[in-house]
Amino acid sequence: MRNILTLAGKDFRSLATSPMFCLIAALCSVMWSFTFLRSLILFAENTQATFNPGPSPTLQMTVFLTHISQINLLFVFIVPALTMRLLAEEKKLRTYDLLLTAPITATEIALGKFLGAFGVILILVALSFLYPLATYPIAHFSFPPLLAAYLGVILVASTYVAVGVFASSLTQSVVLSVVMGLVFNLFLWFLSQGAESATGLYMTSVLEQISIGDHFMAFIRGSIRLKSIMFLLSCTGLFVFLTQRVVESSRWR
Amino acid sequence: MIQVKELSKFYGDRQAVKNLSFTVNKGEVVGFLGPNGAGKSTTMKILTGYMAPTSGTVQISGFDIFEDPIEVKKRIGYLPETPPVYLDMTVQRYLEFCAKLKGVSSEAIDSSVDAALQKTALQQVRRRMIGNLSKGFRQRVGLAQALVSDPEILILDEPTVGLDPKQVAEMRTLIKELKGKHTIVLSTHILPEVQASCDKVIIINEGQIIAEDQIQGLSNRMAGGGHLKIRVLRKADQVAEELKRIEGVVDSSSTGNYLEVKTDGRDQVVEEISKKVVSLDAGLIELQTSTLSLEDIFIQLTDSTEKS
Ligand SMILES: Nc1ncnc2c1ncn2[C@@H]1O[C@H](COP(=O)(O)OP(=O)(O)OP(=O)(O)O)[C@@H](O)[C@H]1O
Ligand SMILES: [Mg+2]
Repeated sequence: MRNILTLAGKDFRSLATSPMFCLIAALCSVMWSFTFLRSLILFAENTQATFNPGPSPTLQMTVFLTHISQINLLFVFIVPALTMRLLAEEKKLRTYDLLLTAPITATEIALGKFLGAFGVILILVALSFLYPLATYPIAHFSFPPLLAAYLGVILVASTYVAVGVFASSLTQSVVLSVVMGLVFNLFLWFLSQGAESATGLYMTSVLEQISIGDHFMAFIRGSIRLKSIMFLLSCTGLFVFLTQRVVESSRWR
Repeated sequence: MIQVKELSKFYGDRQAVKNLSFTVNKGEVVGFLGPNGAGKSTTMKILTGYMAPTSGTVQISGFDIFEDPIEVKKRIGYLPETPPVYLDMTVQRYLEFCAKLKGVSSEAIDSSVDAALQKTALQQVRRRMIGNLSKGFRQRVGLAQALVSDPEILILDEPTVGLDPKQVAEMRTLIKELKGKHTIVLSTHILPEVQASCDKVIIINEGQIIAEDQIQGLSNRMAGGGHLKIRVLRKADQVAEELKRIEGVVDSSSTGNYLEVKTDGRDQVVEEISKKVVSLDAGLIELQTSTLSLEDIFIQLTDSTEKS
């Protein structure tokens, strides 16, 4: 445990203080400020101007949904960019030698790398959470669905991080690492596209079960389903495990 | 302390290490000597548990590298060919990180880092970014990293490569100071380095041990043949011919005003040669006895292994 935290702490610190992260965090907040305010104003105009006979749209399903889908979309690209250096650069700069000759296991290396990057992503998640939070004083909404949605964000982000760390473990090249991470993330999303267009009931239901999109949407709608939690956690676990295999295998080449 | 038995390593179908067996006793300083591509780094990487051999066993302090890799790694400090430093960390923070990784207890971290900094004379740069340090300093940081957990065994892969002459001398003094406290295995392709710091030398070429000897034995071997360089003003060709007739001269040849003479190594022969050159009035201006270079020893050793 101590080894994992040592590794995670080092990567967390160097990532969180890197110019790359500061730039990303700044750009994100600029973007969120702009889009969040815009959809909030739109929402306000809509609810005032039009007299809506049906159930009025909630803040959750309009403003927050846009916000959270946007976070998700951003993370598909940002997370690989933040995780790309984790193992690829260690290999390139030969500091990987230090890790492999230290009295730590491959599992500890994989988990340490994952946790370090995950911690940094949580900063971004917290940053994005400030926006809905800031609306609370002006528009009272129910908290639990928002929290459920954020649980979804955190779980999806952890999957992206695990994917990114895995991509980084496969290569020495930082560029290749970021490209692979992106491709893997997109692939996970396209599985859900496949679910919509797949012919045959059986195929559709299988693809639905394994598509990130479906599970994520359930969280955004405010429902916490055990199978969705389990699914995203096992995705994360799978990629951390694959990373562990790759690290372990580097001794055998 | 270190027992290596029939170690082999293939990279694909290229064999880098062939059936290496040797032992290193506690407290010994052993030098691995060999030309580029001999398999020195490969052997060291296997000893540290960085990679697995294709076949053969390695035991370190009684632990098998396969069965107890963690126990083995706890006992080893390793300086790879390229110092494994993070360029975006300060020296102090980097060493703290290494100490933690190597399992130094939280209370002892500060004192271990201080001790390592002191041994490698890095106190002045402890707050500097490693990325801003020169190559020689990075090498020292790498060494401090190997020392920080005060391991029983130090494995140093070409510790003086890329250092300026002053730092090379400092590094040798440092290794001498470490002698006795640690068992040290170091690799190099520079002969004087082995003479300066090691008790025992293992010469490898193309993945095989071609000689394993105490340093004294190596010196004797080197004395076994003398090598003279002579510079004259005139009559170089004639001198070369005349010298061949002296008893004890194995060979002599001239290029321009320079003569190369090989002798059987006795001092009397050198005396005879100088007398001869003077008596021929060739204008002797330089006479140098040179010890055998590493290359010569290699050629000698590989020749003798082929013959036997
Ligand atoms: N990762 C690798 N893949 C394939 N071949 C390798 C690899 N590493 C080393 N080799 C080969 O193994 C042989 C031994 O290499 P090694 O690095 O052990 O030599 P060395 O004695 O350390 O040489 P040097 O003095 O140049 O450091 C070389 O022929 C080298 O080409
Ligand atoms: Mg080498």
